[in-house]
Amino acid sequence: MLLMSNISKVYPGGSVALEDVNVHIEPGEFVFVVGPSGAGKSTFFKMLFREIKPTTGSIVVNGVDILELTDKEIPYYRRQLGIIFQDYRLLPDRTVYENVAFAMQVIETPHRKIKRRVMNVLDLVGLRKRADAYPNELSGGEQQRIAIARAIVNEPQLVIADEPTGNLDPDTSWEIMNIFKEINESGTTIVMATHAKDIVDAMGKRVIAIEKGHIVRDEMNGGYGYEF
Amino acid sequence: MSFSTKEYFIKETYKSIRRNGFMSFASISTVAVSLLVLGMFLLIFLNTNHLAQQLESQVQISVYMQDNATTQDNMTVEKAIKNMPGVQKVTFVPKDAALKKFKERLGDQQQLLDSLGKDNPFPNSFDVKVDSPEKIKKVSADIGKLPKVETAKFGQEVVEQLFQLTKILRFGGIILVIFLAMATLFIISNTIRLTVFARRKEVIIMRYVGATDWFIRWPFMLEGMTLGFFGAIVASIIINLTYGALLSRIHATLAFLPMLSATPLLYYVTAFMLVAGTGIGALGSFISLRKFLKV
Repeated sequence: MLLMSNISKVYPGGSVALEDVNVHIEPGEFVFVVGPSGAGKSTFFKMLFREIKPTTGSIVVNGVDILELTDKEIPYYRRQLGIIFQDYRLLPDRTVYENVAFAMQVIETPHRKIKRRVMNVLDLVGLRKRADAYPNELSGGEQQRIAIARAIVNEPQLVIADEPTGNLDPDTSWEIMNIFKEINESGTTIVMATHAKDIVDAMGKRVIAIEKGHIVRDEMNGGYGYEF
Repeated sequence: MSFSTKEYFIKETYKSIRRNGFMSFASISTVAVSLLVLGMFLLIFLNTNHLAQQLESQVQISVYMQDNATTQDNMTVEKAIKNMPGVQKVTFVPKDAALKKFKERLGDQQQLLDSLGKDNPFPNSFDVKVDSPEKIKKVSADIGKLPKVETAKFGQEVVEQLFQLTKILRFGGIILVIFLAMATLFIISNTIRLTVFARRKEVIIMRYVGATDWFIRWPFMLEGMTLGFFGAIVASIIINLTYGALLSRIHATLAFLPMLSATPLLYYVTAFMLVAGTGIGALGSFISLRKFLKV
């Protein structure tokens, strides 16, 4: 699914964000990426969706070297990904339905396919009844569920989530995690950065820890490993 | 491009223009004013050019023969003129015909001629037409050197001044066009920049879910083109109305001025303004998006 080899990233000005990072993720895996703030997690994620390029090394996703992609090919590569952020990034002037449908419209999905698919994913995240609501009428957990619906509506093979429960209380976080679990069980690969110790410890999934730009730990059935 | 995509573009463009009501209005006004000035200038230029051409085509060399020239001399001179490069037409005007023409021109003031008695003061002459106005000077000088030719003259100063004027207008026009195009471009790209800024969240999400650059660009391009187009419409309406009014004024008071008639001139000017307005709108959007899409 994903193979990163000898990745280093030095930002202009000389600060080293990542150094000699090697990661191999199989299809269908659920991987937590943990580590203190500023350790290089963001850089790691930005490379995955090809927002930035590493200084050295290679990244192969689904057999394609994504560093070789031309500017024109990048959008098509991103269609294989579902990206979720801590701050949801919903469009406030569009309804729940429109927010999710938006992701299908902008990759030119035919009209008739959009409605059924959007309703299906809203079902999956349990918000079908709120389809006509606006994001500011929803709780944080509900907003994140919309963001998840939007990320998976185009059936990506790889979901990348950057601290998706960072703004949520523990109960709501668990609701969100259960949705991710369900998505993962349907075969989608998930890579998630998080600071939620309880969740990581309880889920018993693979954990990759990044510190000061280096992978310091990569274990199956791992725990969070930090006090907070 | 599928139907739903087109529908999406049109909806987005409409929403955006409404949301930026004031800036949209300002852009349309700026485009309108710029194109109005441009259009007026174009009309002035085209009319001056037309006037110059009219006068140029009327300008001919008048060749006056000496009194003692014989019919044989006249024929020799006519032949020599006809053989000169650039000469289009040579018409012999016998002295009788010249007098007759003069009488016609005097109209009801025939008594002025009476003082001349029976004498005909007009010499035999030739009217010479040249195929391009630039050659007039040389041809005229050459004719003047022929034997038995008294003098060869043409409306030198008027032609040269008109030439000078069209040159200045052409030069000034190019500068004006560049200046106005840049100002319009600046205003439109600024408006679109505001639109893009207002919608940066959408653009970011579009990029993350894999919308192509052109898909992201289209609604903004359409917005710019729409603003340019409406500005051009406003300018066209004003130009069409004022030129029509101006034309009837001139016909009433300065009838001798050869003005270009409204059709087809205004069709061309209107088409030009619509194309220019829409094009500038598209270009303005494109410029302001270029930076934004480089992520």
